[in-house]
Amino acid sequence: MSSFSSAYLSTRLSIFSNHLIDFDFLTELFGLDLEQILKRVEMLTGHNYSLDAKGAGSIENQLANTAFNDFQLLIRPFSGRERRFFFYAIRWFELVNLKVLIRGKFSKTENSIIQQQLIDLGDFAELPLNKLLDTEDTHEMLRLLETTAYSGIVRQARQVYEEHGNDLFLLDATIDRSFFISLKQRLQALDNQDTTQVTQVMGVLLDRFNLLWLLRYRFSYKLSPAKSYYLLTASGRILHSANLMRLAKMDSVEEVLSELPESLQKKLSGLKTICEIETALEYSTLAVASKVLNQTNLISRFFAYIILREAETRFLQALIKGKQLGFDDELIKQAVVGIK
Amino acid sequence: MLSIPVEMKKISLTMMDADAQRAALTLARMTILHPVEDSQNEQQLPEFPATPYFDVYHSLYTKFSKITGFVTEVFREPTDFTQLVTLEQLQEMDAQLKSLWALVSNVEEQLRQNHEKMLSTRQLIKSLHKFDSLDLDLSRLKRSSRFLKIMVGTVPSVNFSRLEKALSLAEFMIRTFYTGEGVQHVVMIGSSQQQTDVHELLKSADFRELVIPEEFSGNPSRLRLDLNNQLSDLEIEIKALNKKSSELLSSIMPTLQKSKDLLILAKPYASLATVLKGQGGLVFMQGWIPADSEKIIKKQLENELQFPFHMKLNNPEIKELESVPSLLRHSWIFKPFQSLVSNFGIPNYAEVDPTVLFSFSYILMFGMMFGDVGHGAVIALGSLIFWKRFPSVTIIAVLAGLSSIGFGFVYGSLFGYEHILTPLWMSPMHDPVLVLLLALVWGAFFLVISNLLAIRNYLVVGLTQQAFYSGKGIAGLLFYLAALFSGYQLMKHGQFGVLEMLSLFLPMAVIMRYQWKQTSAGFFEKALVVLIETLEQIISSVSGTLSFLRVAAFSLNHIALAAAVFSIAAMMGTTGHWITIVLGNIFIIVLEGAIVAIQCLRLEYYEGFSRFFSGKGKAFEPLKL
Repeated sequence: MSSFSSAYLSTRLSIFSNHLIDFDFLTELFGLDLEQILKRVEMLTGHNYSLDAKGAGSIENQLANTAFNDFQLLIRPFSGRERRFFFYAIRWFELVNLKVLIRGKFSKTENSIIQQQLIDLGDFAELPLNKLLDTEDTHEMLRLLETTAYSGIVRQARQVYEEHGNDLFLLDATIDRSFFISLKQRLQALDNQDTTQVTQVMGVLLDRFNLLWLLRYRFSYKLSPAKSYYLLTASGRILHSANLMRLAKMDSVEEVLSELPESLQKKLSGLKTICEIETALEYSTLAVASKVLNQTNLISRFFAYIILREAETRFLQALIKGKQLGFDDELIKQAVVGIK
Repeated sequence: MLSIPVEMKKISLTMMDADAQRAALTLARMTILHPVEDSQNEQQLPEFPATPYFDVYHSLYTKFSKITGFVTEVFREPTDFTQLVTLEQLQEMDAQLKSLWALVSNVEEQLRQNHEKMLSTRQLIKSLHKFDSLDLDLSRLKRSSRFLKIMVGTVPSVNFSRLEKALSLAEFMIRTFYTGEGVQHVVMIGSSQQQTDVHELLKSADFRELVIPEEFSGNPSRLRLDLNNQLSDLEIEIKALNKKSSELLSSIMPTLQKSKDLLILAKPYASLATVLKGQGGLVFMQGWIPADSEKIIKKQLENELQFPFHMKLNNPEIKELESVPSLLRHSWIFKPFQSLVSNFGIPNYAEVDPTVLFSFSYILMFGMMFGDVGHGAVIALGSLIFWKRFPSVTIIAVLAGLSSIGFGFVYGSLFGYEHILTPLWMSPMHDPVLVLLLALVWGAFFLVISNLLAIRNYLVVGLTQQAFYSGKGIAGLLFYLAALFSGYQLMKHGQFGVLEMLSLFLPMAVIMRYQWKQTSAGFFEKALVVLIETLEQIISSVSGTLSFLRVAAFSLNHIALAAAVFSIAAMMGTTGHWITIVLGNIFIIVLEGAIVAIQCLRLEYYEGFSRFFSGKGKAFEPLKL
């Protein structure tokens, strides 16, 4: 990347990072009504959102589109492998659409309802959403999916559909797993010098995914240690293959927590439920990303920004949706940030 | 020479709901209405009567497209374009296609499954190759006991490493005995007690087991024979399914043809789903029509509609100008150039349509830069070969070739030879300075015309201040003319006095003042913006004019290239000489011809269009069948 492009990216990243909402501050938004929330968000981020529009212009889509527009500006100076890596990383948003679509079709939900939940990804979209929506049954949808960039998950999707019916958590995990494996492969294809800090953030993300799903597979789905381990994704920062194999053999959540490496154990001490652990791990990931955002390596900073922005978008979408549906503040708080 | 998009009028049509479909079909047949959504009457007209119709139309269209994706036969067009399609007809056909698609989709799914089985069987046959040479008793591999489980099969290579570790948790061991394309051929051994867990795990890892039936206790060739038989059965089954599929598709062709007819006739009304609004049996729609079609529309609607209707026509208001679609009408000769203009953008309704001006100047510049009777003739005649496949390209190439011939006579050039024809004027090489000077004059003329067009466009849309004071307005034009005048005085008489200075300074001051007023920022930022904009104005005037030097440069380059070819040919014997001349001329025609064509386009787009043409217009897209 030329020095001009680096300066451009660095300036842009600094500006955009200043507009990220601090996660401690986000909790202050719960007591406000919708109009006040949007005003506050506008004040903090500089983006103006409208509550009136529906469908493609809904508030969820507006939030996502603003994020994509910013990503588009940030991705501009990159080329080659780095560009491909970031394009793939941003595809994380598309996985939400993929899950909504598969869930909707598996459960025979009406197209109009599925459509309401889809996010318009603009230029980042890979999925032919309209064509997928127009499929008549699950088999047809899976055949069409086979022709997309997500063909890799179709076999598992079929298996889940045939064996587990509507229990689609396994499929969610399969989608996430193949995404992380591919993302890590793309990361490894980057120049070594550039990847130290990204690897750090990525490692935390993978640890989060692996630990959470290990607990779910073992103690919610009661899967065997072997299958639980197999369904995890690539090794992360702290939880390497050997750790995960050992943890998979444990018989309770407490046992798993007690066998964790010390640094992770400290963060999760005293937690009992998987939900609590999920929240703690998310905050831990965001903390690492926030730290990396202030460092010098541009690739790491951009990657950290994507993680933080994704979390912010997801948080605001859930908060606003909860408010629109008239849910109780405490319920929204619990759903959005867990028990902190 | 100058044209503007066809004059438009806004049509507001109020009619009975019962007539809406008939009106849509009539207007679609005429391809005369560009429908637009009306956002003003939402409260008074809350209903969208065509929406349910559109939903069924869309559903039917989707199914039809999916089924016809497997059909190779061509559908015929309907003969009667006046038939109305009812919602019930659409629904009935939609239901029919739903069941037909279910049949087609079912066959497709079976085909997919069989192809997958074939792939799996082929992998297993590959596995057996390894056992072949061993002449192993397969019953030994089947010898799973109460305590021991043995399995042979394939697993995708990407899954192998993770599977190996996962299996170790279940006290199973896995070993690869052959690696194929993306697949590992493996044998596994482990405790029988764990086999349920392992079975689940293997399914997730996409393990395909090589099942060894009881009766195959002998060598692997027997099992391979069995697998080959399975493969043959699958191939037969696939053939049968393909046959079934084509028979099914043939049998439903009449239904598909009927669907196609219905879809064609239903499309106009369905297309109005978001445009047509109504309440209590009355519907309203808006759109743009060419002003000269007012009477014919009224007459047609009077003939076709069963109930009275109200049609109101308005000229576009200034605030609407940006949203009025642009309909460009050109004769066949200008159509190809219209496509080149559209590549840059569609002219805004109020803008000058530069197609004709573009056509003439493009062809003229091509001739100036590539003037040669022989080369022009080859381009003109050679391009006729492509007439059937690329008619648009052929028209442009023939005209460019003719222009080249014309300028070839002017320069006295025939296939690079300068002494065969007597030039009507002179060869550019005889006085290159004069040729360069003329190119500059041509460039100045071109830019002045562009500036005048920009002023005209500003005035039409009511941007009076911009027309007078901006860099692309009258002030900019005066500055440019003053720069030309000052340059001339300096070159011709060596003087740059008060008059020259004032003529430059005054329009520049006006432009700066205008920019100052237009910029909303702090003092220093404003000053910086104005300074940069002013510099940009000066630089673009100079660089824009100098850019036209390429017109002269390429005419000189053409002769220089020919001279180079002749020099090389002179070094050869008779045969080599003529081969070099022929190949050299082909090289000049293909390479230089292409470069000149691109350079002309570049001059048009960047020195011309970017000065007066926004290209942000909307194409006229009429309702059609």
